[in-house]
Amino acid sequence: MRKIIYGLFVVTMGIVLVSCQKDDTDMGDIIAQYQVEPAEIALDFSALTEAPDVPVTDEADSAYNDYVENTAWNKVISIAFGGETPVVTGTVPGVVVQTSGNHVTIVNMSGPVKFVVSGKTTDGSLKFYGDKRFQVMLNNAEITNPSGAAINNQGSKTMYLVLADGSVNRLQDGPDYVMVEEEDQKAALFSEGQIVFSGKGELSVVAQGRGGIRSDDYIRVRPGVKIYVNSVALDGLRANDGIIIDGGVINVETTGAGAKGVRSGGVMAVNGGRLVAISHGDTRIETVDGVADTSACAALYCDTLVTVNAGTLKFMATGDGGKGLNAKHQVVVHGGSFQAVATGTKKLKKPRGVKIDGNFSIDGGYFYTYSRRSDPLEVDGTTTVAPGYKTYDKGPKVLTISY
Amino acid sequence: MAGRKRKQLAALLLMCAALFPTSLLADDAGLIVSAEASRKLAKGLNTGFEVEFRSRNNFRTADRVSLGADISYKALSWLKVSAGYNLLIDNNREQITYQDDEVSYNNWRPSYWGLRHRFNVSLTASRKVQRVTISLRERWQYTYRPSKIIDNFDFDEGEWEDYEVRGKGKNVLRSRLQLEWDIPKWKFDPFASVEFHTTRDLEKTRIITGVDYSVKKKHNFQLYYRYQISGSSDEPNIHMLGMGYTYKF
Repeated sequence: MRKIIYGLFVVTMGIVLVSCQKDDTDMGDIIAQYQVEPAEIALDFSALTEAPDVPVTDEADSAYNDYVENTAWNKVISIAFGGETPVVTGTVPGVVVQTSGNHVTIVNMSGPVKFVVSGKTTDGSLKFYGDKRFQVMLNNAEITNPSGAAINNQGSKTMYLVLADGSVNRLQDGPDYVMVEEEDQKAALFSEGQIVFSGKGELSVVAQGRGGIRSDDYIRVRPGVKIYVNSVALDGLRANDGIIIDGGVINVETTGAGAKGVRSGGVMAVNGGRLVAISHGDTRIETVDGVADTSACAALYCDTLVTVNAGTLKFMATGDGGKGLNAKHQVVVHGGSFQAVATGTKKLKKPRGVKIDGNFSIDGGYFYTYSRRSDPLEVDGTTTVAPGYKTYDKGPKVLTISY
Repeated sequence: MAGRKRKQLAALLLMCAALFPTSLLADDAGLIVSAEASRKLAKGLNTGFEVEFRSRNNFRTADRVSLGADISYKALSWLKVSAGYNLLIDNNREQITYQDDEVSYNNWRPSYWGLRHRFNVSLTASRKVQRVTISLRERWQYTYRPSKIIDNFDFDEGEWEDYEVRGKGKNVLRSRLQLEWDIPKWKFDPFASVEFHTTRDLEKTRIITGVDYSVKKKHNFQLYYRYQISGSSDEPNIHMLGMGYTYKF
C-alpha cells in the first residue's frame, strides 16, 4: 500500500510539474494583423509630371465645350484690384460692370467674354450674372470677401476658370455670409453653372463660412492646375452633377463636422492627376423637429458612380465615423492608384476606409483601404475582382488589391 | 492479503475512471492536489493548515495555488462550527470580447496571475444512520479580489494597453450534502457529495465521489473525482481528479 501511495504521489507531482503550459489562444499572428499602421496620407504639393493636355476638337464630343481653347475670346475685360476700387479696363457691348468698393458685379448679355482678374483685395468680390459662358483668368489675384463668396456666378453656363501660367491666386470668404434673396452662395468659389479649371497656375481657396468650391452643375479639372482648398465649415470641393478630373493636383482639407472633402452628386470620373482629400471633422448631429440625425464626414462622398481610370487618389478621414470614401452607388476601378484611410473613432458612426452602398468592381490599378476601428471595405452590393491581380490581401484593417 | 488490497484499490481507481466519461471530453479536465496538517487543540477544537494546487486545460495548465488555515469546533455531537481563511493565487483565464457583429475581435486580455482573499464560516450538521454518515454543510464564503493592472490588447486601437481589473467582493452560499460509508473490515471509506454554489443564481454545482484511506489515524489519504458544472459560459464544466493528504498531530 505504501508503495502505491508513494507511486501516486510521484505521478501527481509529475502532473503538477508539467502543468506549466498556457491555455491562451495563440493571438500572435492575429495581433500582428491588427497592429498594422495605415499608409501615409498627406497633402501633396510636389510637382506633377503629366502628359500634354490635348483639347478635344470634335464638336460632337460631349466634352468639346469644356475646353476653353475651343472658344474665341475676342472680348476681354481686365479687373485689377489693389486700391479702394478696382481698375476695370476694356468695355464690351452688352456687358455691364458695376463696382461698389472692391465688390464687382458683372452682367454679361454679350456672349463669351474673358475677364482677366489680378491684384489683391481684403474686402471684395466678383459676382457674375448672365446666361453666357465666360472665362475668368486669375492672374495673381487674391480676393477676400468677409461677408460672402469671393467669386459667385449666378449664371447657369460654364465658367472657365483659367489659372494663368505661373500665377498664384487665392480666394477666401468670411465666417458670416450676407445673403441676397433668391440667390445662392454656397461656397467661397460658387457657380450655378459648370466650372472648368485649366491653366498652369495655382489656386488656394480658404473657406470659413461655407464650402470651398462648389458648382450646382459639374466641375472639370484639367491637367496643369494646382488647387488647394481648406474649409473649416462645409464641404471642400463639391458639385451637384459630377466631378471630372483629367489631371492637375488637388489638395483638399476640411475640418467641419459632417463635412466632405470632395462631394459629387453626379458621376465622378478620374482620368488622371492627383487628388488628396483629408477630412478631419467628426459626425454632425442635426435635430429637425425633435428628431436627431447624424452625418459622418467623408474625404470623398459620391451619390452615384465613381470611376477611376487613372491618376492618384488619396483620401483620409480622421474624425468619428469618418469614411475615406463613402459611395452611395457604384465604384469601378480600371486603373490608377486609390488609397483610402479611416482612423476615426466609432462613437456615433462606424468609420470605414471605403463604404459602398452599391457594387464594387476592379480590373486594374491599385486599390488600398484601411480602417483603424472597423472593416476596411464595406460593400452592400457585389464585389468583383477581375482575374489577373498581383495582390489581393484582406486583413481585419487593410485591404489591398493590385494589378 | 496485500494482493487483495491492491485489487481493491485497483477496483476503486477503475470506478473513478469509469466516472470520468470520455463522452464529456468536450469539457475541461484537471487535477486537485492538497496537503493539510491538522492539530487537535482541545476536545472538539481543531485547527488546520492547507496547501492546494489545481490544474485545468486537460492537466496542462496551472489553475490555482492556495494556502489556507481553518479552525473548527464541535459545539454539539451533531454540529460543527468552523471558520477559515484562504489566500488564492489564481491563474485567471484569458478573456476575449467581440464587436457587435460577434465575429470581429474587440479586446483580448491574456491569462494572468492574481490574488484573492477568501473568508468562510460553516455550520456542519451530521448524523450517523447505521454505517452511513449524512452531513449537511452550509458555508458562507466571502471572497475579495484586489484591483490589478493587467495587459489588454485593444483590437480597435491595434495596441496593448493597461487595463485595470477592479477590486470587488463576492458573497457565495455553499450548500453541501454528503454521504459517507463506514464499511466493516475495509480501510477505505467511500463518500459522495453534491454541492451548490449560490449567489443570486446557481453559479456552480459540484458532484464528488471518492474514498478516504487512513493509516493509524494520523495519516489520511483521499482520492476523489469531482465534476463541476458551471453556470457561466465563461468557465467550462470540468472533470477533476483530486488527491488529498492530511496529517493529524
